[in-house]
Amino acid sequence: MENANVLQFEKPSFFERLKGMLGVDFYRLFHTPLFYIFIAIAAFIPALVLMGGAQGENAMYTNAWQIIAADSPLYVISNMGQYANMNMVFIFGGIMVSIFIGHDYQSGYVKQLFTTHAKKQDYMISKTLLGAFSMLCMCVTYMIGGMISGAAAGLPFQINAGALLCAILGKMIMSLGWASLYTFINIIFRRKFGISIALCFVLGTGIPVIGAAALVGNSPALNIFLYGSSVYACLSANFISVLVCLACSVVWAAIYNILGTIVLYRRDVY
Amino acid sequence: MNAIEIRGLTKSFRGMYALDGLDMTVPQGAIYGFIGENGSGKSTTEKCICGHLVPDKGKIELFGKPYTDAGVRVRVGALIENTGCFPNSSVYSNLMMQAINLGVKDRAGEIERVLKIVRMEDNAKLTFKKCSLGMKQRIGIAMALLGDPALLILDEPINGLDTDGMRLMREILVDITQNLGCTVLISSHILGELEKIATHYGIIRQGKMIKEISAAEMDGRSRAYVSVKTRDIEGAARLLAGRFKTEYDGEYLNVYGVDDASYISTCLLQNGHFISEIRQDKVGLEQYYIDLMSGKEAL
Repeated sequence: MENANVLQFEKPSFFERLKGMLGVDFYRLFHTPLFYIFIAIAAFIPALVLMGGAQGENAMYTNAWQIIAADSPLYVISNMGQYANMNMVFIFGGIMVSIFIGHDYQSGYVKQLFTTHAKKQDYMISKTLLGAFSMLCMCVTYMIGGMISGAAAGLPFQINAGALLCAILGKMIMSLGWASLYTFINIIFRRKFGISIALCFVLGTGIPVIGAAALVGNSPALNIFLYGSSVYACLSANFISVLVCLACSVVWAAIYNILGTIVLYRRDVY
Repeated sequence: MNAIEIRGLTKSFRGMYALDGLDMTVPQGAIYGFIGENGSGKSTTEKCICGHLVPDKGKIELFGKPYTDAGVRVRVGALIENTGCFPNSSVYSNLMMQAINLGVKDRAGEIERVLKIVRMEDNAKLTFKKCSLGMKQRIGIAMALLGDPALLILDEPINGLDTDGMRLMREILVDITQNLGCTVLISSHILGELEKIATHYGIIRQGKMIKEISAAEMDGRSRAYVSVKTRDIEGAARLLAGRFKTEYDGEYLNVYGVDDASYISTCLLQNGHFISEIRQDKVGLEQYYIDLMSGKEAL
């Protein structure tokens, strides 16, 4: 052809590729209402739980910080107060990640992403980081909402500050692992939005781990699961608990990212 | 160098072969018209090139590199099936997302440039879902044009467009190949439109490439013919049969291999045939395609 030029193709580095994918995901996150709706939901959950829970002697919470984390790592729960804490962010986080990825597929934008990104791990990593960031923000607004609700309910705030910090940090760290799980589920069921969202919800509630705990009891072995480690980050947590959360979160994030990438390479993406 | 080179591409869905050893060669700088019936494998081929589908086997190279090369793929723009825009976001936001995705440095400038190319500069703030079909197609082209693409893959971009929309799309495609040096792979059922812009054609049937031909070769092969309408079609056909290949299409007697209508009219009038209508034409892409599909045209 007369107008054919000698073209030069520069291979983008991993960070350049990720920057592009992350950039577009975060632009979408901040320019659509989804993210703001979910961080608002996270802020209101503590108030709703407090309003719906029992009062007086059978009150769900005896301390304001129990809204953030349970007193001890109990997988076998005996009341809602031991269950209803910051871990609920991971349930709503799953729904948010599902909707976010679902929109990618529903709009067809995912085609643009996969056309220009030959390396499919970019998609997994970007969505995991975005999901982790969103859940982290939801943890923050949940915490603020919890403190305001606790104060409004007249609950005491006395606590071991170090343990509280470790519990909050541990739960925030778990966002990464949860985000990778939800991204993986949405990759597997990418054309079945209903299944993705239902599965994310079920796993986010920790029902499988709670069920396992009913059989094996409050075994520390359950900490190898995302829900287990999320519960382990409690008000009696210490630095070791944070390390357990970090190890669990990072290992599962790596596993789900590798598996998700394999699935994307082996199966049709759209 | 070829922009696209495909050898032995095979893709099946649940045991049904959508592509069956497809070979394809798209020269750099070409506007390659990709033609075939519904379900012949056009979109599947395009999706394989873009990495949306995983081929069962075969080789795909873009500009001499494997299609999985990140450096090449970042220079591929695509409009396959739909624009891939978020319906509740504005045209500008959708383009901005793609510009960020591609790592474009001067994003605002680049968006302005592509909007100008597709004549949409006044509609940037419009919500995507409020755009007309023609506008959506143009936005899809604009998305594909972002980030200096070397290859554009367009699946039925002129479907559903009105005459003005088609003309505009034609102008845009010719402009981007001539001025930006882009290679375009375009599939369409509207062969008349394709014929006006394509420099090469590929005809696919049942997942196999049955013919690849350049527009120049096609012109060389195009057979001139004269269509005549007379009262006595049979008599006229008998008269001309010895010298020309004739064919009655139910309305006209088509006389092939002649590019001078006056010669035919003189011949018929001298032999007492009254001519009610006569016109001169040549076999175009559409007829060539029909003949090829029906086996009349040699592969």
